[in-house]
Amino acid sequence: MKHRKPPVRRNAVILAVLLLLLAASVGSAYLRLGVWNSAANLTIAAVKALLVAVFFMHLRDASALVRMTAAVALFMLAVLFGLSATDYRNRADDPAPWQMPRQLSGAQWGQSSW
Amino acid sequence: MITLPVAPQFSTEIQQHRAATLGMWVFLATELMFFGPLFLGYGYGRLHLSDAFAAGSRETDVVLGTVNTGILLTSSFFVANAVDALERGAHRFAAIMLHAAIALGIAFLAIKGIEYSNDWQEGLFPGAGSALPKGEQYFFLLYFAMTGLHAAHLIIGIAILLAFAVALGRVADPVSLSARLRVAGLYWHFVDAVWIFLYPILYLVERSG
Repeated sequence: MKHRKPPVRRNAVILAVLLLLLAASVGSAYLRLGVWNSAANLTIAAVKALLVAVFFMHLRDASALVRMTAAVALFMLAVLFGLSATDYRNRADDPAPWQMPRQLSGAQWGQSSW
Repeated sequence: MITLPVAPQFSTEIQQHRAATLGMWVFLATELMFFGPLFLGYGYGRLHLSDAFAAGSRETDVVLGTVNTGILLTSSFFVANAVDALERGAHRFAAIMLHAAIALGIAFLAIKGIEYSNDWQEGLFPGAGSALPKGEQYFFLLYFAMTGLHAAHLIIGIAILLAFAVALGRVADPVSLSARLRVAGLYWHFVDAVWIFLYPILYLVERSG
């Protein structure tokens, strides 16, 4: 069997982009961007993960079934996050009523009033 | 085309290969649900105790964290090369790539160990004896739980790659392992992708503040 050349060059380009994004991630973290620091970092992370999934994990030439499995996993995670978030959004930050008063006096979570 | 032994439940090699790939992706979906609650807990803390989380994140070692991110990304590059090389019959090159990835995986764990040791000495480990405010303890509970769960996955990944690296040098037909190595590679890349998200949320919160 004749050996075909492995696509090392393509993988190297992906790695170079990933390392550049890492540099952009750590660099932007030291700029004063307020809430945009987190937005930038999470966006960069999502792009990096997408590059890994599409090229290194071969989603690019995967069957529709495999692509759907990956998408459904992310969708289900979003659904579960959404359901839990509605609960936390509407739940008061009060201590549970059955806690001992002694426990309550020490229950100060940072600047929050637990 | 390389011929693999086809298990009795499959009609063709392609069908067998597709089933294996799909099976791994379904497993990775369950792994996502496994890591998911930690990310949700993090999201809750970040929104409700944002000052404590910013303070906690600034206590982490951003230099070692960044170096480790680079190491893990590079290890994924080597694994991708190994998978592609073996499918093309270049089993010696594949073995070299696997050994490089294993070395980087071990380097990652060693650096993480140094970090844990420093964290411990700085009193960042949460618990009854901790002097940290409760909110920062919550951050470090998640820090140790998330990086610990990730490290456990990485140790399993290193063991799998090591098994392949040894097998490539011993079996008569190394190319017959290519479909399996491809599936193992998916696991390695998934663990890498989890770290890609852990890095900014644990190491880079409000560094500019």
